[in-house]
Amino acid sequence: MQTVAQEKFKPISKDQNAERVVRPSMSYWADAWRRLKKNKLAMVGLIVLVVLTILAIIGPFVQPYSYQEQDLVARNQAPNAQHWFGTDDFGRDQWVRIWWGTRISLFIGITAAVLDFTIGVLYGGISAYFGGRVDDIMQRFIEIIYGIPYLILIILLIMVIGPGVFTIILALATTGWVGMARLVRGQILSLKEQEYVLAARTLGASPARIILRHLIPNALGVIIVNATFTVPGAIFAEAFLSFIGLGIKVPLASLGSLLNDGVGSMRNFPWRLIFPSMVFSLIMLSFNLLGDGLRDALDPRLRK
Amino acid sequence: MNNILEVKDLKVSFHTYAGEIQAVRGVTFNLKKGEALAIVGESGCGKSVTSQAIMRLIATPPGEIKSGSSILFDGKTDIVKLTDKEMESVRGSEMGMIFQDPMTSLNPTMKVGAQITEGLIKHQGLSKQAARERAIEMLRLVGMPNPEARIDQYPHQFSGGMRQRVMIAIALACNPKLLIADEPTTALDVTIQAQIIDLMRDLQEKTGASIIIITHDLGVVADIAQRVVVMYAGKVVEQGSVDDIFYNPQHPYTWGLLRSVPRLDNDEKEPLVPIEGTPPDLFAPPKGCAFAARCPYAMEICLESDPEIENVSAGHSAACWLLHPNAPKVERPVEVGGHHNG
Amino acid sequence: MLRFILRRFAYGLITLWVIVSLTFILMHNLPGDPFANSEKLTPEARAILMKTYGLDQPIWIQYGAYVKKVFSLDLGVSFYYPTRSVNEIIAGTFPTSAQLGLFAITIAVIVGLTLGIIAALNHNKSWDYFAMFTAIVGVSVPAFVIGPLLSYYVGVKLGILPPALWKGPEYWVLPTITLSFTTLATMARMMRTSMLDVINQDYIKTAKSKGLSQITIVFKHTIRNAIMPIITILGPLTVNIITGTLVVEQIFAVPGMGKHFVQSISTNDYTMIMGLTIFYSALLILAIIITDILYGIVDPRIRLSKGGK
Repeated sequence: MQTVAQEKFKPISKDQNAERVVRPSMSYWADAWRRLKKNKLAMVGLIVLVVLTILAIIGPFVQPYSYQEQDLVARNQAPNAQHWFGTDDFGRDQWVRIWWGTRISLFIGITAAVLDFTIGVLYGGISAYFGGRVDDIMQRFIEIIYGIPYLILIILLIMVIGPGVFTIILALATTGWVGMARLVRGQILSLKEQEYVLAARTLGASPARIILRHLIPNALGVIIVNATFTVPGAIFAEAFLSFIGLGIKVPLASLGSLLNDGVGSMRNFPWRLIFPSMVFSLIMLSFNLLGDGLRDALDPRLRK
Repeated sequence: MNNILEVKDLKVSFHTYAGEIQAVRGVTFNLKKGEALAIVGESGCGKSVTSQAIMRLIATPPGEIKSGSSILFDGKTDIVKLTDKEMESVRGSEMGMIFQDPMTSLNPTMKVGAQITEGLIKHQGLSKQAARERAIEMLRLVGMPNPEARIDQYPHQFSGGMRQRVMIAIALACNPKLLIADEPTTALDVTIQAQIIDLMRDLQEKTGASIIIITHDLGVVADIAQRVVVMYAGKVVEQGSVDDIFYNPQHPYTWGLLRSVPRLDNDEKEPLVPIEGTPPDLFAPPKGCAFAARCPYAMEICLESDPEIENVSAGHSAACWLLHPNAPKVERPVEVGGHHNG
Repeated sequence: MLRFILRRFAYGLITLWVIVSLTFILMHNLPGDPFANSEKLTPEARAILMKTYGLDQPIWIQYGAYVKKVFSLDLGVSFYYPTRSVNEIIAGTFPTSAQLGLFAITIAVIVGLTLGIIAALNHNKSWDYFAMFTAIVGVSVPAFVIGPLLSYYVGVKLGILPPALWKGPEYWVLPTITLSFTTLATMARMMRTSMLDVINQDYIKTAKSKGLSQITIVFKHTIRNAIMPIITILGPLTVNIITGTLVVEQIFAVPGMGKHFVQSISTNDYTMIMGLTIFYSALLILAIIITDILYGIVDPRIRLSKGGK
């Protein structure tokens, strides 16, 4: 038996004791952010995205050219001191055009994702919350829409309304929300059965309040991850449309249309393909890395 | 040697993003042949990790059984030192395990028959036909009606209780010397719980296997176990026979556990008393006694250093500073065997 | 199970009908008509042409006639090649596209699954990082960048493989790689996630507690269960492959249906666009129905439950 000084056996007061119980509690979001920060690849993705966004905003102003300014004397130049990324067939500065295109591609991607998100969350949320007949009808509708191959529908829509930034966004949003709506519905259906929702309902909270305050915040993790993957999806779809001749029309540029031009002149002027494909791939890569990181960080099952 | 299992100074840690979690921090206990031992404690106290360490089911990484730990099985093999390959021939044949949730512990895409025969074919070298017959026999043994037909069904065609019976059949198929049951009744309906416990007790008598049952249900403990290990924050705080623990508990945590469940053997109407607070963070276990922060009897020494395990009587020991001769005499709460003071 | 299949087909038909109607409506609201490009036409000749194609009829009659024709599997005559019916063009070009698509999906499934399994079994080790880096690059770099690069560097510069056309086995390699790349990468990522998910399941612990060897656990318990959710995404992936053929056929000058589709967009070939859209849609719907049924067959939980879902 150890020898211990007698005075050590004095009982300690309750208050003094209670203080020591404190253990650091972390909110869901703080915890998720901590996990995300530890994920090097996701952070690289995030930083690259921030840098690319800044370049997309200020890039075009660094050079004294506009995206549509032609200079037939300076056609098809390789990268040089005046034209950092070279010029195209019409002597337009590629540096300016690429950042201008990045701006448009990011705009298309983000706007489409926001629209998908809004429509999907509303539709899925309403469908899941009300359940029964409402859900049944809304789901039958989704089942029909879901069967429609979205790229084909987009092609048709764009043929009718004509290509342009807003028509592309519109076309993407018309078809893109379905996946999100299904996801939100699934999430909410599983959450709906949980006690805290029942508690809120017993306390007399209105449906709208329950959806906005209780269900959506709890399903938000998965939804955010999905939205992160929607952005590169939309950017890709825009590029695909450009490739089959339904994209942004010149003189405006998007990464997709620049890629398409680049492919055409690859043999003689490889830099016209290399620069836009680098920016394009970096954007796609960063969003995917960030999305993966967010998924790992926000997945409650992985929480310890 | 009449100990089937001797666990000595078992330490298990998990390495996570946030640092090292010391889930089990030096656990020592023995299990006699033919004995049923219960490990009790609240969620996160390390009881499941201990049982999985015995089966070497801790995934490494992130888990790690620390050096210095030893798990002597059947007097000769130290489980900790076996290679993965050697361990395969121990698992399933010498030890079997039942898990908490029968809804998830069976492979959903495989017929239950195949899930039982797998181990038989591997460990006992039975032919497919012989293994099948043995599986039918096992299913009958665990009380499955119409086993000849049920053997060709998939897990989703069984109820929870029936699935747990299948799990028991799998665990006992090769006549193991040790059966580890990790909360085998927690996920089941109350009526089914009793059936499963009866079945396990019955099978223990028939096969003579030793049992470790992990639970937080003291009713289950009283039903099946002869000895009890009480764990808190990765350590054993008290161990003894069922009578020792129920009628002469020494550790304030054990008192707390006993007071927090209703007892039928007591005539008086007594309120249930919860244990206040939450267990400590095992990222950074406290320097002193892990229970001190929640202990109504905590003393200064409790915060400063961890109490050693003291023998109370033969086979009964506890780790608490109150057992120190210099400690003030504390009156045990009435419900757990203290004296009535009027 | 039978009810489930019938139900899926019923939905497929409704979806198809919606697509037919939508295509019809959209095409009739297109700016310009198919003869707008040929300026030499006199008004009289134009009127005759409109009549032969039924474009002078009220829209409801045109719609009724069109739906009837489509569901009797007649997709009409091309505006651009007036001597050829859309059916003929599909018959002539679809086999090539189907061949390319099948090659690509086979490669994507085999290589993708293998990569995913290897990555999951070596979780957080260099093989995992390698496989996942390849996969994420595959998801990020689209076919219309990889295709031209392969065609130029491997086809033209190195001259190992033909840079274009579709005339024999050596011609198949580059288009197939290009087309399968994204799908392969998606597959690998999905399989890895699914494997990791299964590895953490209780029943894997049960399998381990039986003392089964690592190999048995991986093949009999893990992979089998991990593939289940992958089957559900085979449908959407087939869709990706099919739409991918539009791009890949363009890049490698493969004489398939995708090339015709893209062409018909630029020539305003109404009937062709409508016909091909409907054919593509039918194909995609069928692909999704087949994967649903396949999933039902493979997963005993669905196969043995009575009355479908």
